[in-house]
Amino acid sequence: MKKYSDLEFLRLSKWQKFCYKIAAFFCSIPHAVGNLFKKIGLFFKNVFVSIGKELADVVTAFTKGDWKTKVSYVIMGFGNIARGQVLRGLMFLLFEAVFIFYMITTGSGWISMLPSLGKQGPQEIYDPILDTYHTEYGDNSFKILLYGVLTIFFIIAFIYTWRANIRQNQVAEKILRSGKKLKSGKQDLHSLVDDNFHKTLLALPLTGIVVFTVLPIFFMILVAFTNYNGAHNNGYTNALFNWVGLENFRTLFSWNVGGVNYAATFGEILTWTLLWAFLATFTNYFLGIFVAMMINKKGIRLKKVWRTILVLTIAIPQFISLLYVSRMFDKNGIVNGALMSLGLISEAIDFWGTAKLARIMVVVINIWIGIPYLMLIATGILMNIPADLYESAKIDGASGWKQFSKITLPYMLFITGPYLLTSFTGNMNNFNVIYLLTGGAPTNTAASGAAGSVGYTDLLITWLFKITTGSEAQYYLASVVGIMIFVVVALISLVVYNMLPSIKNEEDFQ
Amino acid sequence: MSTNNTSMKKHMGLKASTRLSNTAIYIILVIISVIWLIPFVCIVLQSFRVESTWKVGYVIPQQWGLDNYVKLFQTNFPRWYANTFIIALVVAAVQTVIVLCMSYTLSRFRFKLRKPLMQFMLVLGMFPGILGMIILYRVLADLNLVGANSLPGLILVYVASSGMGYYVSKGFFDTLPKSLDEAARVDGATRAQVLTKIILPLSKPIVIYTILTGFMGPWGDFVFARYVSQLKPLGMNAAVGLQSWLATDTMTHDYYTMFCAGGVVVALPVALLFMCLQRYYVEGVTGGAVKG
Amino acid sequence: MASVKLTNVEKVYDNKVVAVHDFNLDIKDKEFIVFVGPSGCGKSTTLRMIAGLEEISSGTVEIDGEVVNDLQPKDRDIAMVFQNYALYPHMTVYDNIAFSLRLKKVPEDQIYEKVTWAAEILGITDYLLRKPRALSGGQRQRVAIGRAMVRNSKVFLMDEPLSNLDAKLRNQMRAEIILLRQRLDTTFIYVTHDQTEAMTLGDRIVIMKDGYIMQVGSPTEVFERPANLFVAEFIGAPKMNTFKAELVKEGAGYFVKAFGAKLPVNGPNGELLAKNGVGSREVTLGARPEHIVLADAKAENTIETKLIVSEMMGSEVHLHVRTTDGTDLIVRVPTIQLSPAQRANLQSGATLYITFEDKVMYFFDPESQENLLFH
Repeated sequence: MKKYSDLEFLRLSKWQKFCYKIAAFFCSIPHAVGNLFKKIGLFFKNVFVSIGKELADVVTAFTKGDWKTKVSYVIMGFGNIARGQVLRGLMFLLFEAVFIFYMITTGSGWISMLPSLGKQGPQEIYDPILDTYHTEYGDNSFKILLYGVLTIFFIIAFIYTWRANIRQNQVAEKILRSGKKLKSGKQDLHSLVDDNFHKTLLALPLTGIVVFTVLPIFFMILVAFTNYNGAHNNGYTNALFNWVGLENFRTLFSWNVGGVNYAATFGEILTWTLLWAFLATFTNYFLGIFVAMMINKKGIRLKKVWRTILVLTIAIPQFISLLYVSRMFDKNGIVNGALMSLGLISEAIDFWGTAKLARIMVVVINIWIGIPYLMLIATGILMNIPADLYESAKIDGASGWKQFSKITLPYMLFITGPYLLTSFTGNMNNFNVIYLLTGGAPTNTAASGAAGSVGYTDLLITWLFKITTGSEAQYYLASVVGIMIFVVVALISLVVYNMLPSIKNEEDFQ
Repeated sequence: MSTNNTSMKKHMGLKASTRLSNTAIYIILVIISVIWLIPFVCIVLQSFRVESTWKVGYVIPQQWGLDNYVKLFQTNFPRWYANTFIIALVVAAVQTVIVLCMSYTLSRFRFKLRKPLMQFMLVLGMFPGILGMIILYRVLADLNLVGANSLPGLILVYVASSGMGYYVSKGFFDTLPKSLDEAARVDGATRAQVLTKIILPLSKPIVIYTILTGFMGPWGDFVFARYVSQLKPLGMNAAVGLQSWLATDTMTHDYYTMFCAGGVVVALPVALLFMCLQRYYVEGVTGGAVKG
Repeated sequence: MASVKLTNVEKVYDNKVVAVHDFNLDIKDKEFIVFVGPSGCGKSTTLRMIAGLEEISSGTVEIDGEVVNDLQPKDRDIAMVFQNYALYPHMTVYDNIAFSLRLKKVPEDQIYEKVTWAAEILGITDYLLRKPRALSGGQRQRVAIGRAMVRNSKVFLMDEPLSNLDAKLRNQMRAEIILLRQRLDTTFIYVTHDQTEAMTLGDRIVIMKDGYIMQVGSPTEVFERPANLFVAEFIGAPKMNTFKAELVKEGAGYFVKAFGAKLPVNGPNGELLAKNGVGSREVTLGARPEHIVLADAKAENTIETKLIVSEMMGSEVHLHVRTTDGTDLIVRVPTIQLSPAQRANLQSGATLYITFEDKVMYFFDPESQENLLFH
């Protein structure tokens, strides 16, 4: 693509400028993607480099350290205790003891079973003496995977702590050499409300995130490489599942697996998900701004009343309003009733019956749900636009529309750029609106099959939900779909984020 | 003609043209208000309908009465309501503490892992939350915290990852001048005292916002409650319970007007609460969007 | 009531930007030290390192002989006034001032004594029960100072305390800070970007640029004997005129060739040049606007200039003139010295002849920018 200099660009006609900008935008996408991969590459490089550095440091610390330090390589916390920091040393020692005890008693067992996910499932064993069968519970793949993952996390935590233990020795040696004193246990405790207060504050939230978000996600990513499904939940008959490698990903992108065209189903749902996210985000955005501008226009009275009426949709739990509204549009719901009694239609319209109509309906009802949020946000931003911008525009001769398109909109887009991005990805995963309105209906018979029942309004997220419930649950497929959602969201976010003007030229409107 | 037109406009004067556009705006606003209010008016009206429990094509009941409300108490509804209330209350309290800890730390402390931590949580947030539910459910099931016994399990699930929702309150803390912290530290306050004596008293809006959203989230949540309760009547919250009444056509036939009544009872307290604290909610939402 | 000693102090930020290089300074007990320099020179960073609000990358800071590098701000026994005052918005003026004492668990009686004492001195007794937002800028400034006063701390730090005030108030507060200093009789470290504040307040001034100390000295020293071109240009308003010129050694004496004129260098400056063994060479010549005089007529030692703009300031006139080769100079003439005829002549485009007073010319090395007189 030809690059124009600034002066050349100024000579282009309006249309040429527009085309140039569009072209420049699309030309920048490969670059942005390239940058992304470069960054990822750099990240891994940095990780390996720093691991290398750590290893080298550990070795030098051993050779150069005194005997207290050397002993600490085996007995964690020894250095601390020997140098008088008893509290710290005991914590290290306790952690090491717990770790070793755990690894010997159970941990090593889980780890060793991880590659096979268990060999012997539950079985009925004939007891010749009593002449009965009794059940012998064998291995349980779910538990092996779960505790295997836990053990891996534990090992990582141990390595990290061990490294911290060595670093403490290094630091302590340095401090003592320079003639200063080490912190006492009391000072350590006190620092937890002062210079180390952040550690205290983060302890609880981060534990929650690790246990309830990081671990499950890590586990589910692993599930994508197994054949774990609902039937395996029954520990009495069938508790074993296996690693299957990339098989599940292959399934999702295949045209024909046991008569089901997964690739087409996935493609169709993904297309609708993206279309839905786009429509839902931008209809709400522009209409929300429009409503906000109407309410905030000078001279309009009862501003508070209009706002409160709209905000009612936020105040009332979505499940009530959504469930109710979806019933309003039923074949024998209020809307059809009203239309018929007014004589506008002679036969009830099946709003949820056809793909096209149902899709239009969810977008329209989502506008009803979404405008109030946008109205609030837009109101806040509109009030922040400096009044002198409008005053000088008026003196320059700008009409109402010009003021909107040249000042209000650019300002809005600039400020809300990141918000638009998060709301787009949020809409991609907007479970509530779709599930409570249509439950995915109407059913897409062509796409349904082994992959649960799929509807025309199903998003990836509701599809995922459907294939994880019941005894027919296909957890492995759900994991693959979840990973795909992540990939799509991450790609969009990273590419768009790097191109957002509010990230690139932060100062423009400040 | 066109020059004529513009001069006409000029002479019409500012006042007249403003009045014209304002009238148009009033008309649009009234229409919007009607559209926005209709569903709520309808649901209230239908909750008082006695003659039939089924969806009908008209709105105003032919026979008014409190039958639906009375009948609510003969079902599991009170239990669902209590479940929802307890969960929302506990979650609001714990979540507020967690979110404030997280956001204050990320706003005020500069430690080595701060940036990586924030990036990591950003990436983590891109995974659909339902995904983790699959395993959490199994684990909770092993601990017997699902089905009819889902209350503690649900609380755990809601509260556990609330640290990830720190963006809005971090944005708020970022707007408080850092020199306040510094002045207090020079004045002899520890970091903890800075938080309790300086920052928290100044953070009333965001604390109320966090409590409010923390309360409203579980109050209206459907997905996780549905998953954890597994449709066991005693373990459901109001959302799952009321949805179960509309799950099939036969159910709808008997329970439609009761759903309306239940909806009103569920919506009323939280809507009132929200309307009272609206100011803080608006502050939080707009602040959050502007910060990104 | 303590000395402060900085030894090899450096500040390196995470992104490898060095904000302060090898800072060495001995601050005596009860001294008033001013850090001055353009924004980004590292003066605030240095102050914040002394306060403990910024980590010290290397080197040591000692207060009263004790190394305080690893101490929290609260344990350093310092008081500080911030640029934006940093008053606690939710507390009354009284509570603001009492805050540090309450943290120290001082009995309420004593707190009352102290706070009212400070309020009396600062003239804010009537506002003790108000919240900061109900105060004017000047009053807030006083509260901020009061908050620092009651602490009886070893060192009193002030970070651009007057820069948020309007010009008139700033002059007033400056005078009050001088009085405050006499009353408190403790060590002051004061940061500002305003050279007037630095000159009027400081016992010694530390002039900084890009993280380096340019010069440390009393106001008279830095004004009369600037160590380098930067200090010379930074101190004094309007700014010193500087331009390329040629220094010629002729026998025992010196003269300067500039803009075609030949300016003799006699008196102490000539002696200093001779003492430093300076030969004929290129120099950057510096002349303060007030040291340029108008000549009556063209002569060997005059420079021909055209008047561009004349600014009447009241007691003095600032003349912006341009030499024949296009260099712009500023000349500051006391109004009282101008004859009516000269005054009438001050129209744009008029030709003026100027000359320099040789006693107060400055000679800088064009390369190193060092002052050749005091090198």
